[in-house]
Amino acid sequence: MTTLTLSPGAVRAGASRVVPYVIAVLFAFLASGVLIAVLGHDPVDAFRAILTSSFKSSFGFVETVQKWVPLVLLALGFTIPLAAGKYNIGGEGQLLVGATAAAGVGIVFANLPMVVLLPAILLAGVVAGALWAGIAAWLMDRFGVSEILSTVLLNFISFGIVDYVASEVWSDPAAGHPTTIPVGDGALLPLIGNPSMHSGVLLAVLVAAGTVIMMRRSVAGFELNAVGANARAAQVHGIRIGRIVVGALVMGGALGGFAGAVEVAGIHGKLIEGMQSNYLLLAIIIGLIARGNTLAVPFVAFGIAVLEVGASAMQRSAGVPSEMVLIVEALILFFLLLSDVVGSRLRRSER
Amino acid sequence: MSEVVPFLQLMVTAMVPFILAAQGTMLAGRAGIFNVAQEGMMVLGASVGFLVSLKVGGNLVGLIAAALIGAIFGLVLGWTTTKFGLDQFVISLALFFLATGVASLLYKVVIGVTLTPPLIDTLADWKIPLLGDIPVLGPVLFNQDGMVYFAFLLSGILYWLLYRTNLGLKLRSVGENPKAADSLGINVARTRIVTATVGSALMALAGAYLPMVYTGTYTDGIVSGRGWLAIALAFFGGWRPQYILAGAAFFAGMEVLALRVQVAGVAVPHQFVSMLPYVATLLVMMFAMRWARVPGFLGGNYDRESRTAH
Repeated sequence: MTTLTLSPGAVRAGASRVVPYVIAVLFAFLASGVLIAVLGHDPVDAFRAILTSSFKSSFGFVETVQKWVPLVLLALGFTIPLAAGKYNIGGEGQLLVGATAAAGVGIVFANLPMVVLLPAILLAGVVAGALWAGIAAWLMDRFGVSEILSTVLLNFISFGIVDYVASEVWSDPAAGHPTTIPVGDGALLPLIGNPSMHSGVLLAVLVAAGTVIMMRRSVAGFELNAVGANARAAQVHGIRIGRIVVGALVMGGALGGFAGAVEVAGIHGKLIEGMQSNYLLLAIIIGLIARGNTLAVPFVAFGIAVLEVGASAMQRSAGVPSEMVLIVEALILFFLLLSDVVGSRLRRSER
Repeated sequence: MSEVVPFLQLMVTAMVPFILAAQGTMLAGRAGIFNVAQEGMMVLGASVGFLVSLKVGGNLVGLIAAALIGAIFGLVLGWTTTKFGLDQFVISLALFFLATGVASLLYKVVIGVTLTPPLIDTLADWKIPLLGDIPVLGPVLFNQDGMVYFAFLLSGILYWLLYRTNLGLKLRSVGENPKAADSLGINVARTRIVTATVGSALMALAGAYLPMVYTGTYTDGIVSGRGWLAIALAFFGGWRPQYILAGAAFFAGMEVLALRVQVAGVAVPHQFVSMLPYVATLLVMMFAMRWARVPGFLGGNYDRESRTAH
């Protein structure tokens, strides 16, 4: 049974991966606990609310899982270009144009049966997101415009598009907020499981698994990682960098657009201004905490979803403003980065 | 003429946040630190500047407090990237998130949720004697609030510092080739920490200007992308203070134009007009990237023990 015995080296390698996370989370909670106490609230109450509300009720659990869906999709949309050394800060815009396209198809063809309409709106979201990121990819490839800037600026342009569509094109005047009329019933993702949640959860699991396989087992994934690791070496070995990088950004956009379509088809049933929430920030935090590892992304995303669902519970029961959770998340990332430094210094001193 | 003067007056006011944030970006960038936390620094500056002005009293105190908190964040950025060698982009994103969280948390803690948000006094205009009486130029340039003069003066000082002093030459060399600078005895880490600190303080000042001139109060969306536009402006201005000052006029002009068109009730839907600054920036970037000079070592960390050529 040699496979079960772990060499001391393997144990140490595993520990050196996990320990920084544990330390970072502990320090982040410690620091924010002090902050909560300074603000005059009980940190223990606050953290209990944050950590347990996802698991206390089936409602909380469903909310967490459904929040996980856009987070994991956007985080993968950030992580794939990151592997090629490109930063996709446009997940928000990609989600919104995806949602707009999905809602548009769902409203215009509202009478079609589900077998046609549901795939159509999901596809519309994917295509719209890919095209939106494609603009940034084209600007980068053709004109050398930094993808960081172009993807961010496209976010702000997408806000205007959503506002226009939701308050001028298919506006629902009764809503009192820029909102479209509902999509057709055939466009809604059916509920599955017990407690029941929308089937986009299943799709997200499949997409996440597919992404991991692509990144680790396919030629495209290998080339992508090669470009990110050393673009010059990759080029020397005949990898066409431009095509890989553009493809990675477009794929990231497609995932963002898909997230938007799933939000429309699974959660809202329509396009609502502001539906992007703060998913972009969270997705980047997830991608960076996972250190760009696509296999780790779904798990980190679940942790962040738990914190996010817990945030409102914390505000209700402990009176701590829900913004505290963003601080906790940013601190986890910050301490994780710092723990790398401590770790590498320790390793150096051992030698 | 009656249309032009108010437009230019508004434009000069709108230039201030762009100038301050982009010059802050440029200053750190010329020493090689690529800070992308502008949006966060500005939100935090807006929140702290507003709250301190309201609770302690006086816009000047608010501005100083905003600059200080920005400086602290800049110090963290400079310290962690130079002393610990952490990735500049990742650290500044983390600081961006942290600043965003702290900004809205502070507002919630101090003010809470209200139907009528409390207001602070907006900055008073200081008319400069004689110069303020010149037609057109007078009201546009010499009858503005103190921060306008500060932003323009700062741009001049930065130009002088970077291109006319030995200190500036050293600073630029750190951003172009830190190894060469190091070999000449220039303290690369200290230069970077100082410029990152001052740069972030300027970004926070840029944010604090928004509630003090436009709204009189703080809202979470107050910065609305100006921080990211400031990065675009730094590229657009070729990382040189004089061109950034000129470019700020373009960015501010787009912003004021979008406002004016909405007020004038042109047949174009206002949602499309509000996209104008961002679309214009993207278009301009397409051409600016061809001639824009970027500091040679922008965004790279300097490791004096590294064996590669840098």
